[in-house]
Amino acid sequence: MSSKPHGSNNIAHARRMVQQLRIEASIERTKVSKASADLMNYCSEHARNDPLLMGIPASDNPFKDKKPCTIL
Amino acid sequence: MGEMEQLRKEAESLKDQITAARKAVQDTTLQEAAAGITVVGRVQLKTRKTLRGHLAKIYAMHWAVDANLCVSASQDGKLIVWDTITTNKVNAIPLKSSWVMTCAYAPSGNLVACGGLDNMCSIYNLKGKDGNVKVMRELAAHTGYLSCCRFLSDSEIITSSGDCTCVLWDIETGTQKTVFAGHQGDCMSLAVSPDFKFFISGACDFTAKLWDIREGVCRQTFGGHESDINAIGFFPNGNAVITGSDDATCKLYDLRADQELITYQDSSIMCGVTSLAPSLSGRLILAGYDDFNVNIWDSLKSERVGVLAGHDNRVSCIGVSADGMACCTGSWDSFLKIWN
Repeated sequence: MSSKPHGSNNIAHARRMVQQLRIEASIERTKVSKASADLMNYCSEHARNDPLLMGIPASDNPFKDKKPCTIL
Repeated sequence: MGEMEQLRKEAESLKDQITAARKAVQDTTLQEAAAGITVVGRVQLKTRKTLRGHLAKIYAMHWAVDANLCVSASQDGKLIVWDTITTNKVNAIPLKSSWVMTCAYAPSGNLVACGGLDNMCSIYNLKGKDGNVKVMRELAAHTGYLSCCRFLSDSEIITSSGDCTCVLWDIETGTQKTVFAGHQGDCMSLAVSPDFKFFISGACDFTAKLWDIREGVCRQTFGGHESDINAIGFFPNGNAVITGSDDATCKLYDLRADQELITYQDSSIMCGVTSLAPSLSGRLILAGYDDFNVNIWDSLKSERVGVLAGHDNRVSCIGVSADGMACCTGSWDSFLKIWN
């Protein structure tokens, strides 16, 4: 954590903090029910296109080595 | 009443207002809303490739937008660009400073960047005329280490630093366009929103901040973590932020509800989160931990649905490729692994 100098810098810092809190206090907030529903909808709409979620058939997997095993 | 006392009172009042406003929209919890959804089935990913070549700890990796290439940075003093399908090294770039902590791939694929204890962000042109990869620009102004960097384009990059600030740079001129100040501790990580209008930063003051890139201001601050935030990422729709912390938890914060919706934790996990990445749909969160593992979380149900065990040291970085086909982990054991 940075140490803060004393004196007039403290007032400047406090003014900036109040200014910032004013910005953050003034935003519009959406209900958690709507925010949650949107997250859930996004997941379900995109689930079938999520390879790590759905699994990748071996024939479509560019990272899977295609050579058959040879038993020596 | 002195001005200092007035300001202190106003600050307290504003903080109470924010707390009340957040509570006022809390008509349910994500846990309740998702009660009817079934937990994702066990996710078992296999190591498909091991990228060998670094000679020391790997600190960072980043996928190219062209999904098969990625860049990694190691304290062996090298940046390596890998073809993850063939495991060939496309470029091995020697660095002036071996104390590298971050790297990034530009969306165009033309540039990579890195930085660390040299306090600078160095930009390298991969597509130079004579075929040699050279330093194109050294962005110097931070007074602390470079913890993370992400390109907006070939002409702009955002950096986060141990000096508690983030900076938007003009790569052409090498100058700072905007300084984003406000964190009270080292900035450890940053992520850019899918629409490139915002970025989020996580810091050692235990908070995450959402910044408006063009206006240069912090719009929202999220608390709740009990230790340093080491990793941060956007949920794929850009409306939520995921953080990973030394407090052994990850959290999801919704930007529009302006609050934490869920915490990903387990009593058996007692070590810090180093890195994280969501899967393409956002349903899975892959998080790297100090105990050498990656835990895979069901983002909506907050349950652990998989583990990637395969590294012999801390997992320091993780990324999911642009098309979602693979996850790459980088470790202090000097290897990168590709999983799917």
